[in-house]
Parts: sequence; C-alpha cells; structure tokens
Amino acid sequence: MSLANVSTHYISEKVARVRWLPEQLQQSERFVTGSWDMDRNFVRLWRLQANQYATATESDNVDQTPRCMDKVAMEDDVTAIEFVDNDTLAVSCADGHLSVLNVQRAVEEDQIQRMARSGRLHCFQRSQESAPCTDLSVYGTDIATAGEDGCVNIVSVANVRQVKRTIEADSMALFSICYVSQQELVTANRMGVIRLLDARVATEAQPKTTFTVASQDDKSSNFVSSLATHPMQQHILLCGSEEGSITVWDLRNLNYPASYLSAHQSPINEIGFHRKDPTKLFTAAEGGEVWMWSENKVLGGDSNKNGLSPWLSGDRVRSLVDVEGVLSNIRKAINSFDVHGSRLVCGGDTEAVYLVDHIA
Amino acid sequence: MDDSNVPSFELGDALATRCGNTLTGVFLPGSRIALSAYRHVTHSSRDAPTETAGQDPVLVYLAQESTLFDEPVLRSVLAESNATFATLQQLGLRATRAEYVKLSRVYRSIVRACLEKLEQAKKSPEVQTDEARLRRFTDAIMVFYAAECLWHLFEILYIQNNQLVVPQLLDWARFHSSQAEDRATDLLLMAEEASESDNYWSILKSLIMLGVIDVTRAILSQNRKAGQPAFKAAELILKSMPVYQEGYALQKFHSQWEYWHVDTERKIQTGLFATEPELEQILRLVTGNNEQWDAAIKESKDCYEYLPGYLLFTKPTCKPFELRIAASNWLNRWHLLRPEKEQTSINRMIAQLMDHDIRLFIYEAQKLNDTHWFSTHLIDLIHHCGQLKSYFDQNNIDLPALRHSMIYEYGSYLMTSHNLWQLGFDYLDCCKQEGQAAIELLLPRITLRSERQATKLINLARQRGLKGVEQEICKVLSKRSYDAERYGNALEWAIRSKDLLLVTAVADFILKHYSRTGNMLCPDTIANVGGRMFISPRLVFLSKYYEFYEFYRTRDFMSASELLVNLLQSRITPDYFWPSLLIDAMPLLESKDQTILAKETVAILHHVETELVPIIERDVSKYGKHHTETVFKDYRVENVDEILNLMRLACARNLARALITENTMPVA
Repeated sequence: MSLANVSTHYISEKVARVRWLPEQLQQSERFVTGSWDMDRNFVRLWRLQANQYATATESDNVDQTPRCMDKVAMEDDVTAIEFVDNDTLAVSCADGHLSVLNVQRAVEEDQIQRMARSGRLHCFQRSQESAPCTDLSVYGTDIATAGEDGCVNIVSVANVRQVKRTIEADSMALFSICYVSQQELVTANRMGVIRLLDARVATEAQPKTTFTVASQDDKSSNFVSSLATHPMQQHILLCGSEEGSITVWDLRNLNYPASYLSAHQSPINEIGFHRKDPTKLFTAAEGGEVWMWSENKVLGGDSNKNGLSPWLSGDRVRSLVDVEGVLSNIRKAINSFDVHGSRLVCGGDTEAVYLVDHIA
Repeated sequence: MDDSNVPSFELGDALATRCGNTLTGVFLPGSRIALSAYRHVTHSSRDAPTETAGQDPVLVYLAQESTLFDEPVLRSVLAESNATFATLQQLGLRATRAEYVKLSRVYRSIVRACLEKLEQAKKSPEVQTDEARLRRFTDAIMVFYAAECLWHLFEILYIQNNQLVVPQLLDWARFHSSQAEDRATDLLLMAEEASESDNYWSILKSLIMLGVIDVTRAILSQNRKAGQPAFKAAELILKSMPVYQEGYALQKFHSQWEYWHVDTERKIQTGLFATEPELEQILRLVTGNNEQWDAAIKESKDCYEYLPGYLLFTKPTCKPFELRIAASNWLNRWHLLRPEKEQTSINRMIAQLMDHDIRLFIYEAQKLNDTHWFSTHLIDLIHHCGQLKSYFDQNNIDLPALRHSMIYEYGSYLMTSHNLWQLGFDYLDCCKQEGQAAIELLLPRITLRSERQATKLINLARQRGLKGVEQEICKVLSKRSYDAERYGNALEWAIRSKDLLLVTAVADFILKHYSRTGNMLCPDTIANVGGRMFISPRLVFLSKYYEFYEFYRTRDFMSASELLVNLLQSRITPDYFWPSLLIDAMPLLESKDQTILAKETVAILHHVETELVPIIERDVSKYGKHHTETVFKDYRVENVDEILNLMRLACARNLARALITENTMPVA
C-alpha cells in the first residue's frame, strides 16, 4: 500500500453516492456523483484530466484532477446510483422517485441527461406524503427499489413508469436492498432484520424467511446499512451494520450466521467487492475510513478450487483475510466508494472526492 | 465594510407606518431576527384597543444575515478549511515553525483555488445573465482577494518571522499586481517588436518598481538597440546589482551595495544614458532617485504596490522592525503626493500589519464580509504558532479567550445554517463545555430529512456521549411514525430511544388495538424484538403474548397453554388486557384434548376471581349497572361481565376433567 496515492478534490457538495462509468478494456476515467442535503442536488458527471498545475519538481504531485463535464438537477437528495449498462444509470431520490439517466461519452465534452422518471414509487399510506427511496439494486434490466415505507418496487429499465411488482416487505423503514439472483432479493431494515423476498410473487405469497444480523449487544438496535453479495458465489451475503461489524450469511444455511467480524467503530455506509477481483472487499464507514479486506492467498489456499470461501469460515476469517486501511482520518462520513481496476474513488460529507491510485 | 454602510431594514407595511414605522424584533436561533410593527406603550398609556385595531394584517418578517456562503462554489472554502483546521488542532502548540508555515500556506492555497473557481464561474453565462449573482460573485472575489492578500502579508511578517523581509514582500507585491507580469509576458513574446509598442517603457518601469529585475533585463536585451553602449551599460548595472542572501556577512554586503550604488549614480551623472532618456529614468529608479519615485507614485493605483520595490533599491536588508518606520514614511509620502486618494480598508489593514498593530488589525478583520472565516482561522493559527504571544500579553489581550469565542461563534454559525451543520462540529468540539452545550442544543434543531440522516445525527450524538440528544431524535421520529400510523416503525424508534414511557405507550396502543379488533399490528416487528424487549415490562408482555398468539395460530396448543399460564402468573399483564387474556384461555380450557392441568386451571380460576372480578366491579361502580362503554373491551364479547360465568363454567369443566385424567394416570 506504500504505492497508494491519495488525492483530495473538494467539490462543494456532500456526496451520497459515487460510481465509475463501466469500461470493459481500460481504466475508467469518468465517474458520477450524486449529492445530498444541498439546496439543489445534482447528479454530476466527472472526468479525470491532466492536472494543469502539476510541477515536475514536487514529489507529491497530483497527476489528474476531476472536472465536471455535465450535471442533471435532481428533485431531492440522491440516495443511490447504480449502472444498468455501460451508459445507463438508475438514480433513486429521497422524494420516492427513480430516474434513469444516460451518459454520452465524447472526445471533448461528455454529456449526461435524464431519459425517464418513474411515478412515485414510495409513499406513506396514511399521509400520502412521499417516502424516501433508500436504496436500489439492479439485476439485468430489472431495478428493485426499497423505501422508508417498507415497500419494495420492481421496475424494468425500459419502462420505469410501469411498476412490475410492489411488495410490502416490512412495517419498518428499509435501509438496503440487494439482488441475490434474478428472482431473489434480500432487504434489510432498521432493526437489523434481513428478509429474503421472491421477486415473482405478491406480498401475500412471500416466503417468511428472515434472519437477524449479529450484534455485540442484543439489547440495542443494530441496523444493516449496506448489503453485498459475492460476485462469483452469490449465496454469500455480507451485511455491514450500524455498530461497524460485518455479518456474513451463507444463504444455503440460514440457521446461524457464517461469520461475524467486528470492524469499524462507526456504521458501515457501503460494503462491496472489487468488480473484477472477488478476493478483495472494501468497506466505507461513517467515521471516515475506507478499508480493504483481501484474502490471504497463502493461508486460505485457492478459494476457487475447493469452492469454500474464507468468508464462510467462521472465527477463522480473521486469519484468512488481511485488512488494511485505504483511507483513514477523514473524520467525517465516507458515504460511498467505487473501485474500477486499480483505482478507487470515494466521497462523503467532507464535500470532497478522494481518488486512490494503485490499489493493491 | 465601513462603519457607515451598516445594512438597514425597515418594514414600511401599513401597520408599521401607522405607528410611525417603528419595529420590534426577537432573536431566533440561527442568526435570524423576527421583526414586526411596534407601538410604544408605557405604564401611563391607556389600556384600550386602538381605533384601527384589526384593520391591517399583522406581518412578521424574518431578517437573516446574508452570507456569501450560499453560493455553492464557496462551500469548498468552508469544507477544506475545516479539514485544515482539524489538522492544526492535531498539530497542537509544540510543532516546528515550518509546519505552521505549511499550514498557513494550505489556508492560502484554499483561498487561491477558490478565487480561481470564482473567476471561472463568474465568466459562465448563467452567472453573467443573473445580475444579483454576478454582484455576489464580485463581492466574494473582493473579500477573498483581500483575505488572501492580508493572510500572505501576515504570514511573511509574523509566522515565517524571517530576519529578511524584502524578498518575501516582493513576492507578495508581485502576486497582488499580476497585471504587470501579464503585460511583461506579452512583451517577451513579441521579442524585438516590443520596442515599438506604446507602453513599452511604462511597463518596464512598473516591472522595476515591483523589483522584477530578471524579466526587465530579458526584455531590455531583446530591444533593437540592445547592442548600443547605453543598453550594454544598463545591463551591466542591473546584472551586477548585489542581492543579499541569508548567511552573508551584512557588513560586507553593505560595502558592496554602497559601492554599486555610488558607481551607478556616477555613471548616470556622466551622461552615459543621455541618448536614452527612458532608460535613464529606469536606472534612476534603480538608484532610488526620489524625483523619479515621486513621479511613479503619482501614477500608481495602490499605495503598497511599489513599497517592496522601493525597499529593494533603498534598504535591501530591511528588518521586520525597521519596516514599521519605512512603511509609515512611505505612506506619508504617498498621501502627500496623492491627497485625493481615499484609503481603503484593505490598505488600512496592510498599514496596521506593517505597523505591528495586530489588535486593530483583528478588529478590522472581523468586519470583512466573510462571516468571520478569515479572522477565526487566522486567530486560531496565531494561537497555535505562539509567535505573537508576548505582543498579546503586553496589550492585555487574552488570546486563548479571544480564539475560543471566535471559534465558538463560527462553529455555532455553521451548525445553525441548514446544510453546513457537519462542518460546525469540529469547531464546537474544541470549545470545551460551551461547545458541548452548544452541540447539545443545536443538534436536535437540525431538520430531519430522512431516517438515514437521522442515524447520522444519532451517531454524532453518540460519539459525544449526548444520550439526551439521541433520545430526543428517536422520540421525535417515533412520534412522527406513530402519527403516520406506521406502528412498527414507531415501536422501533421508541425502543431505540430507550424511553420507558414511550415504549410502554406504543406497546399499549398495539395491545389495545388487538383487544378491540383482533388484529395484531406490525407482527413482523414484534416477532424480531428479541433481547430488546427488556426495556419495558409492557414490551415483554407484548412480545410474549405475540409468541402465544403465534403458537395458537399454528395450532401448537400445548406450548400455547403453557405460555398462557406463564403470562397469567407473570404479574406484568396490564389491567385492560385481562379480559382478552382470559378469553384466550377459554378455547384451551374447552378444547377436546386436554391441554391445561388441574393446578393451572385453579390458577386461571384464581386470576378470574382476583383480577377480572375486581376490574368489573370497579367498572360497575364507575359507570353503573348497564354500562355500555367499558374501558375494557374485547372484540369477541359485547360486555365483559358476560364472560365471567362462561369462564367459571369452563374452568370447572376442565378442572373436573383434569382431576380425573391426572389421578388415573398409570403409575410407572
């Protein structure tokens, strides 16, 4: 990690989500950010450009700086951004709507524009006020959104105005949602209860499969703030929680959690594997930390060979996985991160984006 | 920024004008004032409604301090300086001077970056067309330009604290009059053609006065006549000008410099440059000729622009303490020559800095329209680097207290402006108890936009051990969910708040709703309460009852009846729930397969007599015999006392059955 090079860029916006634009063959140079808690919230498209102030003499030079290419004004706080394909992204908003945005790459000025906006997906039954949409997950062309009203809505990216299915999943606010497979979804609520949902059936026929995230102190609530599945072994579900710990579930065996790791001292805001390299996991925490967890190749053996992931190995996880800090001492929440190739971008309430080069 | 143009505000509505346009105001949290019309009333005025009462609407105005930071571009100044501020706090009081200088430069680079962003944004069409915004940008550029200029000078004089100030002052002057440099670059690019340009000599003069000798030489060497002896001699003079460097013997330098000076003057007097009068003027400037400098002063825009250059040619080894005299002499001279020029506040502040009058400087700095960004951060830096400690001691200024109050004010301002609250914490955190108290007061005032934001606030409160704030936020959200009829959500927030009364109230509502309608609200939440139930006995009861309800629903009667008897014995059953609980026992007592033992049946009967009967009696005495509105209702029966006899009968039957089966059990 001594090679890692962190550069900080203040962008005058609190960042709720940040995502690299997907690139197949090369290192992505563009990313999008969504802001929250501002007078006007935007989804912005950034592109890395050579730093015009770079000097040859200084050693701690910043090679590239992001420049805002284009922006789309949103109605309310951005709560989640996810790419559906290479140019299309789904953005959920705190006013309960979902938007589909499109990016046009160009040589000079890239553009981003809104293609469609859904009807109000989430609202409180009694007051009929909009409920914030808290998270979204994408599988193929399906987008599932979760809201504070406890509902899950599934729409197709081609026609977001038509809701394919609404599931009243919970009587409590949902904080996170994640596709496990085409049909199966997991949702997590503020109490730390995780539900397995079937995307094909209505509310009444939903399987009543629930499990609770592990917690140090079972007398206090411990919400799940972020969910992620292993990119290759989709039955491995990782839950980042309020107390800063990670609970790993093997969805084939729901009797007890597969592993439990205490990690950060503050809520984990986002958890996710490296898109191309599933031996690496990243976590971003409210306390201003980003950590990288990498499988220890020597001790763990080749996980792909015996099909046993070190994440499922209970108390031994600690010895099979190495942890290192990518960013620390930011002091304010890191709300989101994304890794593409060897580059990590993250952002949060410091109103800055951090670019980390040469990750591992 | 002057005392004279304090912003004023008048109401001027119908009601206010009637009473002579007087107004009254109340301070509101968040630097706001609520203003309304006012009529003076004393103890002797008659207490009667005015003739015009009720004719005009009463209007209340909210006046808010306008700040530059509404502009998104400027937020980065706040956010970035916040991070620098925190770094400085971590550095503490004992770091080396180099580290403080580095941080001071970081602050300045923040302002410079922001100035650049502002200039860029100002040119954009969306700002150019919006007049109000354009004015705001111009204001902001002025304010931050001044802040950077002053900070830079302050850094040179008081933080770096070098014995040699002239080279740094030259840098300072050069940065703050960048036009000359730009024009010089043009000249350089034009090469030989430059000699014909109209303002060739005036640019060269201003360059010399800014002390930029290298560039002047380069331009001169490109002149068409560069080969002539006059130019060659000038080049030689400029090239041979001794420059003092740190560590050089001062005495030796002085004699060198003296020699060079006399030599140059002599050359000018011999008429070496008579053929090139313009060039001669430049060299006269270099020798510090008063006539020439006076002429130059008359041309100059700003009084401090050429002071460093003048020092370079007249007093190159000027010490910081000598600067004071040099600066005031210069200022007097300038005013004598340019009496019509009024002194701007930035010039006044520069004078104060050079005059070592920090106290007045700080006073003036607070008048900059930047919501005290400049003064707060500068004072904090002064406090940390400790350079001026003796000055403040001599002048009886309590620097730590001053810093404390500035930071406190600034932090509170950030906390109360609606989306800067996250930045305020760092400032208030270093204000000890007052800061803690301010956070405690201001944190719950932040509007809760979403639950995610609420959890962020809770996390911040928890880090600081502010249990009360955490509880308050949870309670507000619980109440809000309750009003929205989202009982599961309300229950969870109540559990989070750890407030016994609130949890009990929500659990009560759910139980009462069940006994009235037979519908269990938010079963998914209750099912997962788990270990959290022990916050309130009512919640324990609710969870356990729900467990019973589930057993019963899944037809596991043995477990259900065991749990029911436990519940009856537990002494946590709320009064209003007795009828429902006992009615629940009925089908179990009457069921075909016996599920309740004799001993337990007796216990049930006991509860009927000791709990239910007194309740009914109390009810009767309160509402009369044929009461229809009882407090205790169950959806399964019209009138509670009907069930009494049924219960007694069921118990008797089950008891009889149980006694027989239990006593005829084969002895093992």
